[in-house]
Amino acid sequence: MRSGTLNVPGIVGFGKAAEMAGRLMSEEMQRVSHLRDLLWEKIKANLDEVYLNGHSIERLPNNLNVSFAYVEGESLMMGMKELAVSSGSACTSASLEPSYVLKHMGVGEDLAHTSIRFGLGRFTTAEEVEYAADKVIETVRKLRDLSPLYEMVKEGIDLKSVTWTGH
Amino acid sequence: MAYTKKVIDHYENPRNVGSLNKDSKTVGTGLVGAPECGDVMKLQVEIDEQTRVIKDAKFKTFGCGSAIASSSLATEWVKGKTIEEALAIKNTDIVEELSLPPIKIHCSVLAEDAIKAAIQDYLKKNNQEEKTA
Repeated sequence: MRSGTLNVPGIVGFGKAAEMAGRLMSEEMQRVSHLRDLLWEKIKANLDEVYLNGHSIERLPNNLNVSFAYVEGESLMMGMKELAVSSGSACTSASLEPSYVLKHMGVGEDLAHTSIRFGLGRFTTAEEVEYAADKVIETVRKLRDLSPLYEMVKEGIDLKSVTWTGH
Repeated sequence: MAYTKKVIDHYENPRNVGSLNKDSKTVGTGLVGAPECGDVMKLQVEIDEQTRVIKDAKFKTFGCGSAIASSSLATEWVKGKTIEEALAIKNTDIVEELSLPPIKIHCSVLAEDAIKAAIQDYLKKNNQEEKTA
C-alpha cells in the first residue's frame, strides 16, 4: 500500500491561504460585502424589474445573483464580455437550462432564465464595481429595447395571460 | 459558447429592430416561443396587397445571441420577397448562414416558425376581412 503522490504546492498554498484567512477574513468579508452591496444598490437604482435571488443578508459576502426580467441571461453576458460573470452555476454554464438551484429556491423558470451571478474577490476594487454596474445597466437597457416581453409589459399585457407556443 | 462572426455582428448591430402597427390590415404578427423556455420572438411583416411582396419587416427577440441573430437575419431575408418565397425559407438555411452549432438549432427553428406565424396572421386577417365585407 502507498499513498497517492502528495500535491506539495497545493498543501503549502492552502496552508498559506488558511494563515492569511485567519488574519484577513473578517476585514475582507466587510470590504467585499460592502462592494457587493454597492453593485446591487447601483443596479437597483437605475433599472426597474430587477430581483435579488437569495437572502439579502444571509449570503456569501462576495456573491450577488440578480434576475433582470425580460432579458435572457446568455445574451446579457454576451453584451458585457469585459465582465466575468455566469448565467448559472459554473457547472451549468455550458447548458441551456436555467440554474436548478434558483428553481429549487422558488424562482420561476421565466425569471431563472434572466439571472446573472456576480462574484467579487480579494482584488476587486470600487472602480471595477462602478464600471461593472454601468456596463450592466447599459446592456440591460439595450436588450430591453430588443425584448418583445418588456414591450408587452409596458403595454399593460399580463404575460401570464398569453398562450405561448413553447417548443 | 463560442459565437461566429456573423452571429456577433447581428447581435451587436441587429437589423430591423422595432414594431409595426399590429392592428393594421397589411401587417402580420408572429409571436413564438415562451418565456419559460428562454426564447420569445416577435416578427412582423408588412405586405403589399397587390403584389403580395413583403415591404417591411421588424422583430424583437428575448433570447440568446443566436436567437437574436436568427430573427434579425430572418427579417433581412423576408424583405422584398413574396409571401410564397418567404414561406420557402427553411431553418437549415439560417443554420448554414450563421454556422449555428447543434445546441442552437432550435433558434433557427423558432425563426422559421416566426416567419410562418407572421404570414399566417396576415392571411387570416385578410380572409376574415373578405368574409365580413
